[in-house]
Amino acid sequence: MKLSNRYNKVNIYTSLIVLIITGVIYYVVIHFILTEKLDRDLAVEENEIRQYTATYHRLPLPASYLDQQISYEEVKEKAPEREFVYTTYYNAKENETEPGRRLITTVNLNGKTVIVNITKSRVESEDLVRIILFITLAVTIILLLSLLLINRLVLNRLWKPFYSILSRMKAFEVTRMENIEEEPTTIDEFNELNRSVNAMAEKVRKDYKELKSFTDNASHEMMTPLAVINSKLDSLLQTESFTEQQGALLEDIYHATGRLSRLHQSLLLLAKIENNLIPDYQDIDFKEMVQSKIRQFQELFERDNLVLKENLEAVELKMSRYLGDILLNNLLSNAVRHNVNGGQINVKLTSTRLTIANTGKNTMQNPRIFDRFSKSAESEGMGLGLAITKQICNLYAFDIQYEQVADKHIFTINFNS
Amino acid sequence: MKILVIEDEQALLESILTYFTGEGNICESASDFNAAYEKISMYNYDCILLDLGLPGGEGLELLTRLKQLKKRDGVLIISARHSLDDKLGGLDLGADDYLVKPFHLSELKARVSAIVRRKNFDGDNVIVFNEINVDVFAMKTTINGSQVVLTKKEFDLLVYFLSNKNKVVTKNAMAEHLWGDEMDLSDDFDFIYTHVKNLRKKMLEAGAADYLRSVYGIGYKFGAI
Repeated sequence: MKLSNRYNKVNIYTSLIVLIITGVIYYVVIHFILTEKLDRDLAVEENEIRQYTATYHRLPLPASYLDQQISYEEVKEKAPEREFVYTTYYNAKENETEPGRRLITTVNLNGKTVIVNITKSRVESEDLVRIILFITLAVTIILLLSLLLINRLVLNRLWKPFYSILSRMKAFEVTRMENIEEEPTTIDEFNELNRSVNAMAEKVRKDYKELKSFTDNASHEMMTPLAVINSKLDSLLQTESFTEQQGALLEDIYHATGRLSRLHQSLLLLAKIENNLIPDYQDIDFKEMVQSKIRQFQELFERDNLVLKENLEAVELKMSRYLGDILLNNLLSNAVRHNVNGGQINVKLTSTRLTIANTGKNTMQNPRIFDRFSKSAESEGMGLGLAITKQICNLYAFDIQYEQVADKHIFTINFNS
Repeated sequence: MKILVIEDEQALLESILTYFTGEGNICESASDFNAAYEKISMYNYDCILLDLGLPGGEGLELLTRLKQLKKRDGVLIISARHSLDDKLGGLDLGADDYLVKPFHLSELKARVSAIVRRKNFDGDNVIVFNEINVDVFAMKTTINGSQVVLTKKEFDLLVYFLSNKNKVVTKNAMAEHLWGDEMDLSDDFDFIYTHVKNLRKKMLEAGAADYLRSVYGIGYKFGAI
């Protein structure tokens, strides 16, 4: 739920509740005040009648009162208490029945008690209450509507900088070394948000830069001794005064340093793919790429007497040429490495998928096959090839699956998943 | 050829110097930014081997200054940074090639030779070794004046050997040169043997002397016996 909606909702509910409560109180109070006034008027009349009776020893004529109706009754049994009551009466002047307020009281006329009913019309006061209530209602409704409108218009305008900051934050990428631009606003809170976001971005960028330079430096520092070992081995080899046995030892050292540098490069590559730091995104004729890769592997196929069956359709993919190369390298060298002598490799490329199947030893299915450093016991690889392959597929939203059917190990890459 | 090696790692520098010196090559070295700048501004070299991380300044800055001096020295960047940005940046600044550490000295020599050939002969890329005559540009090999037909891999192999005359070249280095170092070739380079065997056979049939011999099973050496 949006902040403004939530705010509006709370606003309207409270306004309605307050309106209803104050409306009721308002009505009751005004009604009370007007009734008080009526009662006072009635008491004044009563007083006049009393004085008149006391002075003239007769009752005043009912017709002499314009605004109120007066009637007299003889006391029949017992004199009633003095009281104010609501009533309806017939107004001869208006010629209709109207609501009224009546004072029932008694006067002493020559020793006799006479009941006096003084009735005054309540129509005016009722009208007044109604009008006041109507005006109040109208004003509050107008107030509420304008409040809603203001909320809609002003809040949207007010929150605009916030949403623009938000969209900038969403678009922020640490690898692109750009600032989150400030959205000019006069609101303090948003200015502060602007500043905080920028400070945060700055810090993230700085940390990232430090980490990157750390990795760069670490790789540099590791590669340099490796380069020294390698070059010294090359130099040592030139002296040519070794026995066959020493030669074999040298070869082992070569292999170890080769592995170490490959391992290091693979780890760096993985980190780069994960952080999407491979920039050369382009259209690639994937069929041509697969064909040239197969040509490159020809000698390896021949070495192990592998039979290659290829079935390739033209496919164009959008990806990095460098990563595409590595992807195919890993899958094909995997298919060669885990094959049996005289085995088969089937490469099938359709517009939606690439399938590479190879014969191999009937090993147990490994659910962690795409994990780093996960490899079968007899594998001479580093266990990073498939992790890198998986990572490349993730980067381009390809789906890679492994399954084993009979003695065939099948890797399938689905391009549009 | 005249070569300047700019490298701050002494051990590596020594290996490179030892490997390159001889056969009429003159090698000089510089191990920091200022010494390197002094040398490139005073002398001309056929090829400069440039390490990017140098004490006293960035290697790429040297490239820019070389451009400002309007020099036509060939430049090969050797760096431990396996970063595409650095590579593209270096090549944009006018470097001729880029080699990532660690590398094989034989690969370095082959690349330097290629750069020097391109710079010096301006298209006339012919390597002559005794009776062997290789036109790198036209990819033609003649022995005693008659043409020998070689496959692409055999030809590359021959050029590689000729760039590393009288040196032991490992099978590992040869495989990486011919198939690229991204291939993850496992540790078994025996398939190289087939190519070497075929190349040797074709050369012997064309009447060349037997210059190739296997060394301890690690690699091969090409050169006068």
